[in-house]
Amino acid sequence: MSILLGAWSAYTKMTARWPGVAAVVPFIPLLLLWTAVAQSGVFPRAFFPGPADVARSFVTLTYKGILPDYLQDSLLRLITGAAVGMIIGIPLGILIGTSKWAHRIAWPILLFFQAIGDIAWLPILLIWFGFGLTTMTFVIVYTVLFPVVLNTVLGVESVPRDLARAARSLGASRARVLWEVTLPGALPNIITGLRNGLGYGWRALIAVEMIVGTSGIGFLMFDARRAGSTVEIVLGMIVLGLLWYIVDAWILAPIERATGRRWGLVTS
Amino acid sequence: MNGNPADRNAQAAVPLNAGLGGRPRWLTRGLASLAGAAMFVAPLMALLLIWAIVVPLFGIDQRVFPSVAAVGAAAMESIRDGTLIRHIGASLLRVGLGTLIGVVTAVPLGIAMGVSPAVSTFLTPLFRFFSVLAGIAWIPIATLWFGYGFGAIIFVIFNAVFFVVTYNTLLGVSTIPLALRNAAASLGAGRWALLTEVLLPGALPNIVTGIRTGLGFAWRGLIAAEMIATNVGLGYMLFVARDFYRTEVIILGMIVIGALWLLIDRLLLVPLERSTIERWGMVRRA
Repeated sequence: MSILLGAWSAYTKMTARWPGVAAVVPFIPLLLLWTAVAQSGVFPRAFFPGPADVARSFVTLTYKGILPDYLQDSLLRLITGAAVGMIIGIPLGILIGTSKWAHRIAWPILLFFQAIGDIAWLPILLIWFGFGLTTMTFVIVYTVLFPVVLNTVLGVESVPRDLARAARSLGASRARVLWEVTLPGALPNIITGLRNGLGYGWRALIAVEMIVGTSGIGFLMFDARRAGSTVEIVLGMIVLGLLWYIVDAWILAPIERATGRRWGLVTS
Repeated sequence: MNGNPADRNAQAAVPLNAGLGGRPRWLTRGLASLAGAAMFVAPLMALLLIWAIVVPLFGIDQRVFPSVAAVGAAAMESIRDGTLIRHIGASLLRVGLGTLIGVVTAVPLGIAMGVSPAVSTFLTPLFRFFSVLAGIAWIPIATLWFGYGFGAIIFVIFNAVFFVVTYNTLLGVSTIPLALRNAAASLGAGRWALLTEVLLPGALPNIVTGIRTGLGFAWRGLIAAEMIATNVGLGYMLFVARDFYRTEVIILGMIVIGALWLLIDRLLLVPLERSTIERWGMVRRA
């Protein structure tokens, strides 16, 4: 017991010094468990590959250049979609947020179209644009757009009116109020919206690549499904999970925290 | 009731409780929410009107975008022969069952793990990783394990709900101040009382938020899974209509999907979330 406690206190000390350790160590027992189950032969190997098989297929696919290529395709699609979604979404959100009438008219429409959901658009998009990049980009832009717009509206409305009024009465032009009051005030919400939108967009991308894709991680997984190759499916899942974990925990969450903190400073 | 003078007196005596204008409070509130609903529906009706005008005006091909009448006819036809109800029923059953299994297993597990700070800090990254993967990414392996059909779809939905709800429950329990738990324990609360009166209510807002997020992913996962792996359900209805270029059926399906989710979210999940958060807010203030 004392050994366990000692190990635990050493572990907490270590994670306090390097927080990255805490994100990695919990996966070690999981890997061991996975290996044990795969080795025990409870499930047939073809249905339930072990970590070693997956690692081997990772090396093979990377060596052949398939995995890096597909990964690049998927990321490029996601980034394009996210960029277009933001370019449309943020101005639209600010417009809707600043005008009461625009809000009244647009809000139900926004909620309804968000509720339809990205993937339900797929069949009609296939009729309109066929199997291809336009369809995929449309779906991702659509998925990213709504959370960004809805959160931007919320953010703009959360900025106290008095702040804008104060800036105006001190002689700021409308453009300056927008740039120096409304936009920074709404920024934490915009980032939250982007984070949610990317979360949904990422999933939508996988679904779209499965159904219409000719490349990408989703296609890799679904193609492996067709061939009955569980190893590659599991590999695809791990790559997806890791990638999104890295993007979310190391890029998006810190940005969200930083903008929140900054805004917190501004109000106090 | 108005004929009785005593009653009228009683009404005049308590104008504050009766609300402004002497109307009972439930009526005022009902009228207000009715007006709110009308305000909500009006822009959608306007959109419908634009659709009804634009499609015939520009002579848009039925195969590109259907007219309102065509979608209406498709709706009537599919209601009459029962296919629409069958598809909706299948989809709702899957979401309901998958969510139920997910929540029933996730909440106890989340609480059990959250009780110990050591266990919860250790396991949080794991559950974060799996909640990232939740839903659609499991479709290929689910169809391989369970075959195309009911089992695979239930698994995908269960998965989307389970990890998100467990992660949120874990988070909820671990944010309850330790002082509250200690206070309850030192006042003589047993394990059961601690669970039902401190841990569960304290984690409830997070649990409900988790259910809402998870169900959002599950709904999308359901549509995707139905397109790929089944022969009944709303996603399947859309995807088959595509094969025959029946855009009116596709649009009908999209409207049904949007309306259903809006109803589930606004009438069930949002009020649930709001009421639990309000309640917990009150508990904390007291």
